[in-house]
Amino acid sequence: MVEITIRKRPRTEAVITQRKFFKKTAKGKVIKVLRERYLRDDVACGVHSCNLCSTTVDLVLPAAGSLEHLAFPGGHLVLPDTNVFLSQMDLIESDKFCPPMILLQTVLEEVRHRSLPLYNRLKTLINAEEKRIWVFYNEYNTATAVIREDGESPNDRNDRGIRKAVSWYTSHLSLARPPVRGQPTRALPTVVLLTDDVANRQRAEKDGLVCISVRRYVEGMKEASKLLDLLSTAGSDELEPTKAVAARQVLYPDYLPSSTLLAGIKSGQLHQGHFNANQYNYLEGNVPVSGFDKPILLIGRENMNRAVQGDIVAVEVFDEKEWKAPADEVVDQETTLKNDDAEESEEESDDEEVLAERHVLQSKLAKMQASARQPTGRVVGIIKRNWRSYVCHIDSASLTSNNATSLSQQTVFATPVSRLLPRIRLRTRQAPALLGQKILVTIDRWDRTSRYPEGHFVRALGKVESKEAEQESLLLEFDVPYRPFGKAILDCLPSEGDHWIVPPKSPEAPEWRDREDLRDLIICSIDPPGCQDIDDALHARSLPNGNIEAGVHIADVSHFVHPDNPMDNEAAARGTTVYLVDKRIDMLPSLLGTNLCSLRPDVERLAFSVIWELTPAAEIVNVRFAKSVIASKRAFTYEEAQIRKDDPNMNDELTNSIRLLNTLARKLRESRMAAGALNLASPEVKIHLDSSESSDPIDVEQKELRETNSLVEEFMLLANISVARKIQETFPQTAVLRRHLPPPRSNFEKLQDILQKRKEMTLDVSSSGGLAASLDKCMDPDEPAFNTLVRIMATRCMLAAEYFCSGSVARDTFAHYGLASPIYTHFTSPIRRYADVLVHRQLAAAIGYTPLHASLHSKSHVERVLDLVNRRHRMAQMAGRASVEFYVGLALKARGEKGKNQEEAFVIRTFRNGLAVFVSKLGLEGLVTFKREIQFDPDAYTIKVPSPDSVHGTTIAVFDKVTVNIEVEKDKNTQRGRVRMALVHPVESSGL
Amino acid sequence: MASASTSLSKAEKSYIHSSLCSSPPLRADGRSLFDFRTVLLETGVAPLANGSAKLNIGKQPHEGGGGTEVVAATKLEVEDIENGDGVEGGRIICSVICSPSAYPHLSSNALDELQYDLTTILHQTLSDSSLHPPNLGILPNKKSWLLCIDVAVLADAGNVFDAIFMASRAALWDTKVPRTRPIEYQARGLAPSGAADVEMDTESGQQAQKSSFDTRDMIKTAADFELPDYWDEGEVLGGREQWPVCVTLNILPPMHYLDATPSEEASTPLRLLLAFSFPPDSPAVLQAMRLLGPGELTVAQLKAFTADGEKYARELFAALEGKLREEDLRRNVKARDRFAAR
Repeated sequence: MVEITIRKRPRTEAVITQRKFFKKTAKGKVIKVLRERYLRDDVACGVHSCNLCSTTVDLVLPAAGSLEHLAFPGGHLVLPDTNVFLSQMDLIESDKFCPPMILLQTVLEEVRHRSLPLYNRLKTLINAEEKRIWVFYNEYNTATAVIREDGESPNDRNDRGIRKAVSWYTSHLSLARPPVRGQPTRALPTVVLLTDDVANRQRAEKDGLVCISVRRYVEGMKEASKLLDLLSTAGSDELEPTKAVAARQVLYPDYLPSSTLLAGIKSGQLHQGHFNANQYNYLEGNVPVSGFDKPILLIGRENMNRAVQGDIVAVEVFDEKEWKAPADEVVDQETTLKNDDAEESEEESDDEEVLAERHVLQSKLAKMQASARQPTGRVVGIIKRNWRSYVCHIDSASLTSNNATSLSQQTVFATPVSRLLPRIRLRTRQAPALLGQKILVTIDRWDRTSRYPEGHFVRALGKVESKEAEQESLLLEFDVPYRPFGKAILDCLPSEGDHWIVPPKSPEAPEWRDREDLRDLIICSIDPPGCQDIDDALHARSLPNGNIEAGVHIADVSHFVHPDNPMDNEAAARGTTVYLVDKRIDMLPSLLGTNLCSLRPDVERLAFSVIWELTPAAEIVNVRFAKSVIASKRAFTYEEAQIRKDDPNMNDELTNSIRLLNTLARKLRESRMAAGALNLASPEVKIHLDSSESSDPIDVEQKELRETNSLVEEFMLLANISVARKIQETFPQTAVLRRHLPPPRSNFEKLQDILQKRKEMTLDVSSSGGLAASLDKCMDPDEPAFNTLVRIMATRCMLAAEYFCSGSVARDTFAHYGLASPIYTHFTSPIRRYADVLVHRQLAAAIGYTPLHASLHSKSHVERVLDLVNRRHRMAQMAGRASVEFYVGLALKARGEKGKNQEEAFVIRTFRNGLAVFVSKLGLEGLVTFKREIQFDPDAYTIKVPSPDSVHGTTIAVFDKVTVNIEVEKDKNTQRGRVRMALVHPVESSGL
Repeated sequence: MASASTSLSKAEKSYIHSSLCSSPPLRADGRSLFDFRTVLLETGVAPLANGSAKLNIGKQPHEGGGGTEVVAATKLEVEDIENGDGVEGGRIICSVICSPSAYPHLSSNALDELQYDLTTILHQTLSDSSLHPPNLGILPNKKSWLLCIDVAVLADAGNVFDAIFMASRAALWDTKVPRTRPIEYQARGLAPSGAADVEMDTESGQQAQKSSFDTRDMIKTAADFELPDYWDEGEVLGGREQWPVCVTLNILPPMHYLDATPSEEASTPLRLLLAFSFPPDSPAVLQAMRLLGPGELTVAQLKAFTADGEKYARELFAALEGKLREEDLRRNVKARDRFAAR
């Protein structure tokens, strides 16, 4: 019989068997938590062929340790301290860093306690194939467990536990392999304590343990030069005691401790919000908070106090008499701080750059507008850093040695691609090699004594302006998940692959259960040219009673994507398909997106149909929803459909049904406009690519809008609204809907003022209908493009539409402002939007086709998913726009080589020292800056530029049409292609 | 007061009475009049409580146990002063419950009454302001600790009052108050802007001349507290040496005796409860006195009994103090040493 031993000690030894700690709950109660601890003597050491430990698990640590390190020729095992994982995770993750590693439970728990994201990264590393990491449960091993002494801090106790484990391993290894007589004694691997904590190192040395700092350790590795760049700067100070930290000038005020921040926020004295940098002026930022209508303005470095775009910060608001107006000047970091030296900028603080900065700030203060004041404050602490990896260029001017073979370590500046981020100082040995490349840089820290944040190099993305590097950097910059789909996800696809077909109609086939057979209907799809993921198709036919039956058929994605499987989870995480100019990042595997779900012509496909009976005046008599099987007869492009409709010779059924749809769409549109829907505009351009292979842009033109575009749009809107009503009725608590909140009136103040002053036009912003009507009146008979311009500017004043869960917000905020619809959702593009997939599931449940998955009954789950989808959606739009911008830049460059690029542009904003202009033909916004003094009238939105023709100079105002010369020039320092504009007409600005 | 007496015949009572009064006095277990039975004490018995103790009087291991058994535990809770029941500086609530198995002959109503009586005596004695520990406040005017002392009588073999007080004292001695740190936010704006502005209006002028004795502002800003070290059990209650011990004098005028067994209690109707605290370096303080049962005492008798009582209490106190310090040692230093030496 197996002997049973009881490992639990009696209560008399409670100090060993029990771990007690206190916890403060969110409600402010203090509770005592008790953990029982069972110590055992069979916790395996994880070293291969250890004859003392017996275990069935694969042992990952080689018996001789790693022989690759210079300092430990006899082999070694690494035992890292917690601080290594907290500050050097990029190093640990590098595929060049893989010594056999012992990960103590103490360390693992400390990492989890300190940072959950780092803990999760560490967990994936433990499971990674190429890493040899053994988790040793030292707290549960009788020999290595420690108990806290009186007056010992938790940190000291953990350090003691780690040291104890090191010494245990050292003796365990020698015991496991006693010298055998007659055989040469084999060298035992050294157990090396890796830590950046100086105190811990000193104690370990006193105990006779081998320990080493991370930097020292990496220096002895084979790939040292590459790995050293991955070192975070956090640990480096202690290694260079020569640099007197105290002597450095403090540039920023200290942060308040986090507990104080929380207390301040709780009591309402501090405000919490996301920090937004100003892209025109690097010395200014703002923080939108719930306490004020306008965001809190932060002016100057000290007040922004090391906040980086996206951080959640705590802000203290100044007295109202200290409130200021946002700047009206363009301040460019690169020009103001051109001469800042990466190596030395820490020491000197009263140098000319700072004076220049101060000058910029003061000149602004003098010219404060009383009208535009907004709450002003300063950052007193960071609630949460949202630092990630940023795509940067190395600033060539900051290099001290350009010798390509030089491997000496240099401190250089990395300039992030995004204008919203400060320059990052980093130390690298590969600086010359990285010039002209896009690289990924992580910020490690930002000290009070350092003007710039400090970071380290993660990896190179490739040559600047190479398509691959630019593409990847775009995706990284906008946080788009772009890895290929994993095996678990692809396993969720139908096993037939692309041979999958709708089975022949039979009562047994599961595909045909409760489905309507609509294969005989004359259905067609209308999409942009080259569209592969066709997710909608239409039909219309006259009914005997004089009414018209119209149907919208949407790809039945929910038939293939089942809730809560790996594919569904991945789609939820991706949220949306991202369209770049030359690449599409799919939300669903392409087998579904471009084949099985795509409603291609002449094949049978599963669909989810919305079928209306409409009167000839386009009033809905009846609507029904059904799962169906359809066979599209034709896939048109917008252009083809338009031509076919307009061709009087064509009279077949398909053409007639398009005409029928078109007449209905017109009426639908009329009634929608009557209800107050807005006709908004945003600059959309189309990039002509040379051929699909080379993808060199040839030219840019504005997207043309045809009648058929609006035909499809109207029916999609109608379907979305009908579906939204249905699911909201059935699931009032969890329906996935979309809304567009009416913009606050204050958003329009500036535009109204400009229109009033410049054009004597008024904008009625009381309702969407009023706005639509007054926008129609904003016409300049001489300038047809003016109306579009005003529409673009008005669009920018509005809020973004968002998905929401119907149970989470008040019923009276459901409305969609832009569409003037009381309720709205997205139903029509389930291949490329995850919200639509959810809506499909809810609609299928609403018509009793399938039961609703439990997760869609949970308000919190739906909210969580939609929050992410909203974010992804925003990011995808920005990524798409950035991609277009990049190609516009390339196209301009190509054009510029042939001659000068002169385009007409509208002035959209005036600054103290420049103009912002909009080139509608290219959908391009740009800045014209003047070096010489100009007269600026902020209240009239004009500037007066000296001109050779007249004594008084030429006045340029907002909405004026000017001609600009556009060039793409490579920024000398950063290699970043940037559009440079100069005025040609009415004044030549190159000399100004 | 509900009697905890077992049913005893008149003849038995009279027999016990006369043997106690005989010379020399005779007791069933052979003790002299002022001897206590064996007292066993263990602290730290309830790991989730902030302090706890288990006490037994008169256990006879050879005969399979017995004796009066009492468990006391203290629990600290955070109370809100502004919106809750909290009191500035914290407060103490005592409660005593009796296991029905300790009093099988009592109806549930009678048990409730007994519990209520025991609770009242304990609460009135321990929550007296002269004994109030100084460290039960968390944030002035905002948060304070509520110290709950819960005593459970598991078995009653006589002298339950002394047992309850001793167990409470041990539990209070063992109690650790979690260390807290106030979190405050001091607006930067107040001082500098007021000083810089020359044209101060009268209001802010008054503010600037505010007396530094006025701490109201500080109190307003301290909004919350945190636990600086979540592993630390905390500090002991301030003035823990002062917690009183109680001796019950069972009175058969003119004589008296201590630590009565149930049958002795049944035949001695008059009892005098004396609770003394012994602050270090100062004379003993009589914290509470109760005369229970029918019968009366003259003032002169009472004085004499009180003087005797102080003497017994001092002995009891010294013994208990020694045991408590030994328990502290056993549970911490010794346990760690044993662990290290294994």
